[in-house]
Amino acid sequence: MSDLLVVEDLTVTFPTTRGLVDVVKGVSFTVGRDETVGIVGESGSGKSMTSLAVMGLLPKGARTSGSVRLDGVELLGRPDRELRRLRGARMSMIFQDPLSSLNPYYTVGLQIEEMYRAHRGGSRRAARTVAIDALRQVGLPEPERRVDFYPHQFSGGQRQRIMIAMALVCSPALLFADEPTTALDVTVQAQILKLLAGLREESGMGMVFITHDLAVISSIATRVLVMRQGEQVEYGSAEQVFAEPRHDYTRMLLESIPRIDDALDDGVRA
Amino acid sequence: MARYVAGRLAGMVLILFLVCLFTFIIFFALQPDPAVMICGKTCTPERIDQIHSVLGLDEPFVGQFFGFLFGIFAGRDYGQGANLVHCAGPCLGYSFQTGQSVWDMVVERLPVSATVAIGAAVLWLLIGIVAGLLSAVKEGTWWDRTAMGLALGGSSIPNYVLALALQYVLVVQLQVLPFPQAVAFGDDPVVWFESYLMPWLVLATGYACLYARLTRANVIDTLAENFMRTARSKGLSPALTMRRHALRPALTPIATIFGMDFAALLGGALITETVFGLNGVGKMAADSIAKNDQPVIMAVTLLAAFFVVIGNLVVDLVYTRLDPRVRITAQ
Amino acid sequence: MTLLRAKDLTKRFVSRGPLRARAEFTAVDRVSFDVRLGETLALVGESGSGKSTTARMIAKLLDPSEGTLEFDGEDVTHAKGAALARFRADVQVVFQDPFSSLNPRHTVERILMAPLAYQGIAPNGSRRAHAKELMERVGLNPDHSLRYPAQFSGGQAQRIGIARALAVNPKLVICDEAVSALDVSVQAQVLELLRRLQRESGFSYLFIAHDLAVVRQIAQRVAVMSKGRIVELGDTGQVFGDPRHEYTRTLLAAIPRIDPEWDRRRREKQ
Ligand SMILES: Nc1ncnc2c1ncn2[C@@H]1O[C@H](COP(=O)(O)OP(=O)(O)OP(=O)(O)O)[C@@H](O)[C@H]1O
Ligand SMILES: Nc1ncnc2c1ncn2[C@@H]1O[C@H](COP(=O)(O)OP(=O)(O)OP(=O)(O)O)[C@@H](O)[C@H]1O
Ligand SMILES: [Mg+2]
Ligand SMILES: [Mg+2]
Repeated sequence: MSDLLVVEDLTVTFPTTRGLVDVVKGVSFTVGRDETVGIVGESGSGKSMTSLAVMGLLPKGARTSGSVRLDGVELLGRPDRELRRLRGARMSMIFQDPLSSLNPYYTVGLQIEEMYRAHRGGSRRAARTVAIDALRQVGLPEPERRVDFYPHQFSGGQRQRIMIAMALVCSPALLFADEPTTALDVTVQAQILKLLAGLREESGMGMVFITHDLAVISSIATRVLVMRQGEQVEYGSAEQVFAEPRHDYTRMLLESIPRIDDALDDGVRA
Repeated sequence: MARYVAGRLAGMVLILFLVCLFTFIIFFALQPDPAVMICGKTCTPERIDQIHSVLGLDEPFVGQFFGFLFGIFAGRDYGQGANLVHCAGPCLGYSFQTGQSVWDMVVERLPVSATVAIGAAVLWLLIGIVAGLLSAVKEGTWWDRTAMGLALGGSSIPNYVLALALQYVLVVQLQVLPFPQAVAFGDDPVVWFESYLMPWLVLATGYACLYARLTRANVIDTLAENFMRTARSKGLSPALTMRRHALRPALTPIATIFGMDFAALLGGALITETVFGLNGVGKMAADSIAKNDQPVIMAVTLLAAFFVVIGNLVVDLVYTRLDPRVRITAQ
Repeated sequence: MTLLRAKDLTKRFVSRGPLRARAEFTAVDRVSFDVRLGETLALVGESGSGKSTTARMIAKLLDPSEGTLEFDGEDVTHAKGAALARFRADVQVVFQDPFSSLNPRHTVERILMAPLAYQGIAPNGSRRAHAKELMERVGLNPDHSLRYPAQFSGGQAQRIGIARALAVNPKLVICDEAVSALDVSVQAQVLELLRRLQRESGFSYLFIAHDLAVVRQIAQRVAVMSKGRIVELGDTGQVFGDPRHEYTRTLLAAIPRIDPEWDRRRREKQ
């Protein structure tokens, strides 16, 4: 069976007042079925742009080159009309900034339902049940009541979980998770990671997981891509990248992880 | 919520009271004496005194002011004995010019102004919003540039220029429309429509240009929001994405501006009504100012203030319904 | 010396739909603590436990249902007018959702200069130079001072928020997940900047974060929140080393770690 997603030599270019700027420069990676590729790297290194390019959601004016194939079908240069059928259903994305990524004028229930109905059809009532289940799945308290709340009535971490619930509602084959757990405390984070890992095992969902938390990456990713200033500095199995990093930047990243020193472990044991 | 509305209503009453007071002070301080005007050429000092006492102008300021206020709610009497005239509430006094009850004048003319305002509003909302939307979606194309160029030009033409030009072209030169007449809708719908068409067009032009630009700017801002990207990421149809996710956030602020504009217009379109000879509140205001007909000026000022204040309240209430973020914190 | 004292702060949210009965929800329940001059107090805890709500009440962006707030020896619970303006000048906030707190129609330069303009302070040097200096401090490219927020990545937007808060020399900075979207090396740089400002200018911080390793590094004291209450408050060493409350223990135990085996192999190679 072929790989789910193959990205080859992907470049994203923005026109700015100072001429064209490449924010992603020749990135290549593959995501197999039931595989998780972690992307780590400097802030502003093009991690989000890489996922947006695959989803066909880059801001106006951005240009792409290279090749992106989902199930063997080229996506770059495809008309939006065709990409639309894939978005949401075959591939979906959890966005980085949940508050601004949710429409403040509609309840979160409606925003989940509309996605489900766009691909699966059915009544509003059926979609509502699905939405409530999705919210329950991500550990939101009182989903039956909260489904009728507006985004600003949730906490940062709750909004993030709403984004996750939304992205999963049509059981996509490929999920882009852009810093999906930054606003979650470690216990809820563990729960979400377990949920995602479960989906990967049960339905063979492939995942691209972007985060700054290297410990999270080490626990969930099978392969890791390290980016810096738009370039791919290292790409390999998680074990290789963490145990035998080849590039200085990767080593520096691993060195800079703030550590909870040993006294802590004593505390937990005590 | 009920508390909020009650508070706002109390505020409105206070504002209207102050408007009354200030208008009254201005007239009290201002000469010439209306009695001289009413009395005409064959005037004697006795006659003037008599008019003063009938109108209550010989009373001190406070007495006159509260007499007026009281009249609005409960009616009042003018003069004494055989000369006594009862003015039933709501009483705004009598025109110095024609002797007609001011309240009756207002009641008679308000429908004309309302017709002008409603017709114009429908036109400018339709044209302004559709043009603005198209411009936003086709941002940067020749359509966008042309429409916005026109809108910029259109909003800088003064109403009276437009009114006179339109009248000259359509009525005098091309003769496609009759000269506006006061015809009730029931009598002859076609003439009625033709008579109002030009005032509608004139008033709608400026507003439509303004609303087109507002709509365009709002829609463009909304389209750049992160939640629009989310909507696209869900695979929704472009029509649904636009209709649901872009329009409501983009048009909500416009709804509030519209409320204020419309309310102001209900208080009378001075220039347009005068140019087209429509007997509305606006023309009444213009006439009364020209003739220094104080009770009428007083009435039109109050009426305009009333509409603006009510419009303000309605806009705020509607806004709390349209924007959930305000709705929930407004409690 | 105490800079800020919160006493029994409580926030109840009322939700009422057209069809639903009035429901009350206590998001923050009688929370009391103080922030000392020149100290960093961290607020950690469950997602949805009321940390941001507490922060918004402290910043006077949200009125408490009950409780009092004292700042610099003055009761500011109901401060208005000049007293409020003084308070606003002394307290700055870095918000949890970076994009929603930046005006999309303003350039970064204008955003950074807004707090100064609001207080009528002239920047040292020209506005542009001052803005560039602020950008450099948080590791942003100063050449981008005329860009709009949408042209930045999530972590860059977060740093704009930090730079804005530091622009006016506040006494207290409330950082709500201020470094969560930064990669570990930029994060280290920003944390160092915060510490330096604390040493040199005596800033106090109320630091909300989910990354416990970061908290351990930067905070002198830690308050742990769960379900609207502070369940534990103590010196950082004590809370991490000898946690008293069950929830704190659960939290500490759930911190993800890089496979120690990989870590060991990496260190051996060096
Ligand atoms: N519209 C735009 N015009 C020009 N440059 C842009 C635009 N949008 C983003 N960029 C730049 O592209 C680069 C990559 O952005 P991207 O959002 O992919 O970063 P990221 O790796 O996700 O970072 P973070 O971890 O901070 O979210 C950034 O340096 C950003 O400044
Ligand atoms: N405007 C509101 N209306 C109703 N409930 C609200 C409102 N704002 C917040 N809440 C609720 O209050 C609780 C506390 O929210 P808060 O944002 O303070 O949490 P938090 O501790 O910052 O969580 P996180 O770590 O996820 O950001 C949440 O359960 C949230 O749903
Ligand atoms: Mg990003
Ligand atoms: Mg929060």
